[in-house]
This record gives sequence, structure tokens and C-alpha cells, in this order.
Amino acid sequence: MTEKKDKKEVLYSLIGIAVLLIVIIILEKTIPSTSILFSVLKKGAIYSLAAVSMNLLNGFTGLFSLGQAGFMLIGAYAYAILTMPVTIKLSDSVYKYYDCIVGFQLGLIPSMIIAGLIAALFAFLIGLPVLRLKSDYLAIATLGFAEIIRAIFQWDTIGPLTNGANVLRKYLDLTDVTLPFSNIPFPPTLFIFIVAGICIAIIKMLIDSSYGRAFKAIRDDEIAAEAMGIGLFKHKEMSFIISSFFAGISGALLSMYQYTVQASQFKTAMTYEILLIVVIGGIGSISGSCIGSFLFIACNEWWLRFLDESSNNILGLNIMRSGFRKVVFSIIIMIIVLFFSKGIMGEKEISIKRMVDRLRRKKPKPAVEEGAK
Amino acid sequence: MKKILSLILVLVLVLACAAGFSGCGGGGEAPPSGGDSAPTDDADTGGEPAGANEVVYIGVFEPASGDNGAGGKQETLGVQYANSVQPTVEINGVTYDVKLKIVDNESSNDKAASAAADLVSAGCSVVLGSYGSGVSIAGGPTFEAAGIPVVGITCTNPQVTEGNDYYFRICYLDPFQGTVLANYAFNELGIDKAYCLSKLGDDYSGGLVNYFVDAFEALGGTCIEATFPEGNSDFTSYIATAQNEGCGVFFSPVSTEAAQLIVDQADAQGMSMPILAGDTWDSNVILQAASGKNVNITVTTFYQEGGDPAFDAGVKEWINSDSANLSNNGGDDTIAAVTAMGYDAYFVALAAMQKAGSTDPADVMAALWDTTYDGVSGAIAFDEIGDAIRDVAYVKTANVETGAWDFVTVQGVE
Repeated sequence: MTEKKDKKEVLYSLIGIAVLLIVIIILEKTIPSTSILFSVLKKGAIYSLAAVSMNLLNGFTGLFSLGQAGFMLIGAYAYAILTMPVTIKLSDSVYKYYDCIVGFQLGLIPSMIIAGLIAALFAFLIGLPVLRLKSDYLAIATLGFAEIIRAIFQWDTIGPLTNGANVLRKYLDLTDVTLPFSNIPFPPTLFIFIVAGICIAIIKMLIDSSYGRAFKAIRDDEIAAEAMGIGLFKHKEMSFIISSFFAGISGALLSMYQYTVQASQFKTAMTYEILLIVVIGGIGSISGSCIGSFLFIACNEWWLRFLDESSNNILGLNIMRSGFRKVVFSIIIMIIVLFFSKGIMGEKEISIKRMVDRLRRKKPKPAVEEGAK
Repeated sequence: MKKILSLILVLVLVLACAAGFSGCGGGGEAPPSGGDSAPTDDADTGGEPAGANEVVYIGVFEPASGDNGAGGKQETLGVQYANSVQPTVEINGVTYDVKLKIVDNESSNDKAASAAADLVSAGCSVVLGSYGSGVSIAGGPTFEAAGIPVVGITCTNPQVTEGNDYYFRICYLDPFQGTVLANYAFNELGIDKAYCLSKLGDDYSGGLVNYFVDAFEALGGTCIEATFPEGNSDFTSYIATAQNEGCGVFFSPVSTEAAQLIVDQADAQGMSMPILAGDTWDSNVILQAASGKNVNITVTTFYQEGGDPAFDAGVKEWINSDSANLSNNGGDDTIAAVTAMGYDAYFVALAAMQKAGSTDPADVMAALWDTTYDGVSGAIAFDEIGDAIRDVAYVKTANVETGAWDFVTVQGVE
């Protein structure tokens, strides 16, 4: 019975994803590619992945980590350095004060995976000492790590690798994505959605597996989980490494999206933005993180911009001016945190099947909602 | 019940906030002498009787928050003032209203792309900005993809225009500025040992120090380089080192926050050697910090107040006419060089549109290469990369008694 239900659930989800991708394709064909809609969609998808990877750690394993920006930085730099063409590395158009020591270049997909692996490697090393800490101490240690990583990447002694504090650019970005075995450009927004979608699907499958159940057991009660025979450290380390791997990939996507990478942007403020998305979406909900991400990016970078323009003032009120957007935005966030303390989704997930059932409910007998959960 | 109560509380707070905003803005609004906080309003409701004019949009891509928020606001002021002076443009016999579309790129590379996309979506014919080279580099590809030309105002990093045909700029470049400063220190001040301090992780100060050292050592001088980490607030050891090493000049083209601390501590330690810096120090923040202290601050910049008295008087009157402008300018009416540059950039954009005879971005872009304009900061023309052809920088020094900049010399490169 339950298996049949699950199959139906999966089928509905797949249909939902297909519809989403088709909508993206249609949008990309009809609206000019420079429209802000695509900027928001791309960045929203990238932040969804970052938020989901943070949610895996904070929401599903109960490890309060604040190192996300650090891992994204590693991923972004690794991707940019690996894909930058050798001719540009050797010329002084990017490495102005240093001679680049990386004498090779890789393709787009391999670089992206390596970017994730390097972030995972760092997570493995840092996890060894840090994951023995709990709650607040873990947060402080990971926050410190992210700051140290940023300082190291800006250090001029390793300038031949990272270009010091200067920008990296002219690597393979979204305009260089092509269909396999051809030179036809791949729709950039679709590409980001596919990559982020695959990564989020993998995380979802992991959470539904026996490992995921072990993570949740650790989150709910460490002692009970240990008594049940779950290796605490092993599972924490695993969750930390996997989360960092996907944070690294989201960093690589971010560097593709914004054409330039500079360590100075990966401040703690970035981690807080992602944490905010996780909290708004609902700690422990993957679909919540995705919805939260798109809402956050759209409000922050698009919908509320009109508040900054003094020409939009009405009724003689002079409240709309540069910076007013931030005031309104903070108030919205306060309202959400005050009244929706569990976030938009709480711990639930969006279920297309449930929605369909609800629409159909009038005709057949009431659907069993508990089973879908 | 509790929920409703707190909802009401939040609403009251918001309204109070709004009332406070309009209250302080309203005070400045009262004088009718063109005292609009919004020159964008000015363009459509201004004296012009023609309400049916066609509209052309000029994008302003500037930070209003983040690390460079203060400088970005001053630069935006220049553009807004220019727009209030010249709210229309005549292209091929048709009069267009010029409207500014101002976005905040938040001094951040990751916000730059969406801010740029916002301008593109608004249908701007040409974009001006930005203060800070990093965001200009990050926003460049978006404008390039949309085919909209950008006129950089004070982004001095060479990489802004390199490899991006759509990016122009009206200021000089860091290699030039570093060389000018080195020449000034070596030839005018007669110094052969310099102490160079830059911020770790800041490409602006790091790059400028790099060019300064190259030029200074080529002239036969020696340099001692040092870097300080972000958030550092104790500069005494750097100043002491500079004094003990017998350096003749303290070169530190760092951000204005660190600059204030350096000025204070240099005064406290009785440092007599001149402090040298680049265009970022040309700010009333520095003047306020230096006022009444025993320091010698010399900077290179784009414009010297007094260079064009009519412009100066106009800007000052306009800034003083509105409290919002005054607060955006840092609280007083000192004219920052970036404001003058913003003013020039606006007229360069108008000149390019007139030359193109069209408001189509592609035509404007084609016309920009040959556009010349005689601005308050000097004659402006573009070379084959899209950089301004400039061979001099203004050197000025902070007068600690009057709290104003004193003109020293016009310095070029030999």
C-alpha cells in the first residue's frame, strides 16, 4: 500500500519538475535573456542549493554550522582557477601582479565536481577537530574557519594561485555552456536549474535513506541515537562533508553566474543570508529552503527596488529614498520571524500529490493525509 | 489576541518610522527654490511646459550602501545635480526628457549582476557608474550582453575597460595615479624613501601601492611595504616603523574608515612626514578627521574645488537646498571630486546621444568612441580601449585650520 503511494508521489514530483523545466525553457525563448527575471531565477536557484546544503547540516543533522560562505568561497575559487584558459593565465590580463602557477585548464563539469570535492576535503580536515564540539561552540568554530579561509585566500603569498585579493575573471561562465558535443549555447537559466535540481535531488534521496534517518535521530537526541548503535562522529562527519560538497558546487555556480570572483564578497553576511533563507523557509524542509530562497532573492534584488526611487513617492510623503528598501525588508523579515516562527513550511515538504488530492477531494472520499507525510 | 496586538505594534512602528522619514525630509522640502529631493521628479514636473516629451532613461549604477556607500552617494549627487541643471536633451530636433534610473549595487559583486539587469530591464540608453572598480567589473558582462554602453565615472582599475568594448570611463587609471604620486613624492617632495601601507585583501590599495612602488623604485627611491588586516584599528606600530626607518613619506591609499584612524594616530605620535593617498581620500570625512590636527595630508584627485566657480556655487546651492542631499554628501557642502566627475559623466552621456542622433544603445555606443566633452574636470575624450585620455592629476593638501582642500599643483608623468 505505502509503496504504491510512494510511487504515485514520485510520479507526481517528476511531473512537477518537468513542468517547471518546460516553463523555464518557454521563458528563455520568449523573454530577452538580459531581463532581471533571469538574474533572480538563476541566483535563486543557486541560493536554493546553498540553503538546502546548509539545511542538511542545520535542519536534518542538528549541527549548527556557520561555515557555508567559506565552503562556497573554496568552490568558487577552485572553479574559477581550474576553468580559466591557460592563455589568460599566462597573460597579465587577470594575474597582474603574480605569475599564475596553475598551468592547465579543465572543462566545465569536471571543474565543478572538483570544486565540490576540494570543499569536501577541507570539510573533512576541519570536521576532525571541530565536530567534537557541540551547539554554540561548533557555530563559533565554523564561523572562525570561514573567516580564516577568506583571509588565507586574500594573502598575497599565495597570490600565484589565488591572485591575492584581486578579482578572478574570464573563466568559463554561463555564456560558455554548450549542448554536449556541439557549439550550440545551452540556455543558462535552465543549466543552473538542472545542476541545482540534480544536487537537491541527491540530498533529498540521502535524507530519505537510512543515513538520513540516522541524521535525524542524531538531531532529535544524540544519546538515544548512540544507544541505538549510530556512530555519532561518523555520521556527523559524513553530513558535514556532503553539505560542504554541495556548498562548493553552489559556489562554483555562483562564480559562473556573476562572471567575477573576489574573496571579499564571501563575508559572514553571506552565511547569514543563507541562514535567513533556511529559517524563513523552515528548518528541516527542503522545499521550504527553495521557496525561501526565491522569495528572498526576488524581494531583496527585484521587487522592493521601487522603494528606493524617490520618484515613486505619493501623497507628498517623502519616505521613499535610497535605503528605504532595506528598512521595509527588515520589517518583513521581523514579521515572518515573529508570526511564522517555524518558517513558511515548518518541517513539511510540498507534495504535489497532496495538492492534487485536495483538489479532487470533493468527489471521492477524503484522502488519507497522514500517509503522504 | 497576542498576535493581533503585536501586529498592531509592528504597524505603529512602521508608521512612526515613515512619519519620521517624511518629517525630516519635509523640513528640507519647504523652500520652493528647486528644493526637490528628487531631481527625477524635477524632470517631469519641472518648468518645462511640454508634458508630452519623449523620455530617455539614463541608468545610474552606484552603491548607496556597503563599503563604498558614502562615495557612491556623492557620485550620484553629481549626476542628479547635472540632471536638475539640464533635464532635457535635444536629439535630431526632438526634445527628450532625461530621466535617471538609480539602482543600488550595494558595493557587492554578487549584487552587481542583478542591479545591472534591473537597469537593462528599465530600458536605459546609457548607464553611468560605478564608484568602486570591483562592482564595475562584475556588472560589465551584463551590460555587454545587453549591448548597453556604460560610462565609468571613477572606477580606476585597468580591468574595468579591458576586454569589454561597452565599458568607457572618464577618469584616469591606477597605474597612472600610482606613477603620478611616485613622481610627486620623488621630484616635488624630494624624498627617496617611502613607507607604503595597504589593506590586506583590498585590491584598490594593493594595486595602487604596487604601481607606486614600481614607479618610485624606477626613479631611484626605495620603498618599505606593509599590509594591515581588515578590521585593524591600531596603526601605531606601522607609524612607528615608518618613523624609525627614516621614511620621508607615508603612502596609504586605503579606505576612508582606516584613513580616519591613521590620521588620528599619526597626529598622536607626532608624525611629521607627509601622508600621501589617492582619490578615495578626497572626501570631507578626511577633512573632518584632519581638522585641527598636526598632520600633512596630500592627495591626488580628479577635480579641485574652485576649478569652476560657477559650477561650485551651483552645486553648493543645490546641496544646501535639501537635507537629503546634504546628508548624502556627508553633512556639509564640500564638493567631492567624484561629484564633479558624476556631473561630467552625465553631460558626456548627453553629448554621445546627440552625436549619435538616437537613443538606441547601439548607436550611442558607436558614437561614444568619438565623443569629446569639455567638462569641469577637464577635457574628456576616449582612447581605443575606452579609457579617458588624461595626462594630469590634481594634487591638493588638507588645510587643518580651515578644514578645506588647498590646491598644490597639477602633476603629470614624465
